[in-house]
Amino acid sequence: MKLSDEQIQRLYRFTREHFVEHYDLQTELVDHLSNAIEEEWKENPKLSFEEALQKEFKKFGVFGFMDVVEKRQSALSKKYHLLIWKHFKEFFTIPKLIITISLVVGLFYFFKYIFFYELMGIGMILWFVLLIAALVYEKRKMKKRKNQTGKKWMFEEIIYGYGSFSAVFAFPIHMINIFSNHGNGIPNDYILFGISLFLVAVFLGSYVVVKIIPSKAEEYLKQTYPEYAFSN
Amino acid sequence: MKNSSLYKGSLNTIIMKLLEEKGRMYGYEITQKVKAITLGELNITEGALYPALHKLEAEGLLEVEVEKVDNRLRKYYKLTEKGNKETVNRLAELEEFIKNMQNIVNPKLSY
Repeated sequence: MKLSDEQIQRLYRFTREHFVEHYDLQTELVDHLSNAIEEEWKENPKLSFEEALQKEFKKFGVFGFMDVVEKRQSALSKKYHLLIWKHFKEFFTIPKLIITISLVVGLFYFFKYIFFYELMGIGMILWFVLLIAALVYEKRKMKKRKNQTGKKWMFEEIIYGYGSFSAVFAFPIHMINIFSNHGNGIPNDYILFGISLFLVAVFLGSYVVVKIIPSKAEEYLKQTYPEYAFSN
Repeated sequence: MKNSSLYKGSLNTIIMKLLEEKGRMYGYEITQKVKAITLGELNITEGALYPALHKLEAEGLLEVEVEKVDNRLRKYYKLTEKGNKETVNRLAELEEFIKNMQNIVNPKLSY
């Protein structure tokens, strides 16, 4: 006996009731439970749908789907980090390496000749504003998409939540703090170069996280979720 | 899963080996296949299978396909090119492991 459409919908509800919020994982679990229930019915045709469901659910253990959800989260976070790393590395290979080097050298000379601490403060505030603007813009795009499909996708949430990289938003504030405790005079060339390199790296990193990956989100989501095409 | 700690470390290899043979499979199919091959001795739990599949996918060893089957969506897993290469390595490693274990469990006393 095959499951009916209503029973499939019931299984989707069942996964939601057991704290599986994301459509991608719901779909996989629904198919699994369906197969298991249909198999169960072959041996035990008298079992009701609900009884068979409870029996299969027990096999997931005392924590139900929690473990699967948690592990899925960490697997996708890992995928996300690899993605960031891939894009970040591109800035250190030709041709983008030229941009990176020019940025570092440019910043270094800029600091060397026109260094004053207030400038850092202004720069950081500007950066902070830009980050927030990008954030608001991309969040709005995600909301629009969710309204279209009515579904939540875990990888999408990670991309627009910036994984564990949301700390980049606090970075400019930290920098202001550090530079407001300055002593007198300009740091030596090595320190200046170090600061330039570090700032460029952080800037590129946040650029990848806030701009590059979200702008390619559609492509990455399609690759992660072939079912994306079915639900639109 | 019977003797879970002994089998646990090999779960990924088992999955990859099956996919190498069958091309593509879905989650439930894998649990059933393993049960059938081992005559019910080895029962992969749902709570272990999906995390393993998702991890292999995140590492780029597996890729997914989705198809509508009956009235629901089914997610198939298959090896990527990288996954194929890795399967060969892991199987060799596992064979080596089995051989060493055999020597320990059943030492040949006379050489």
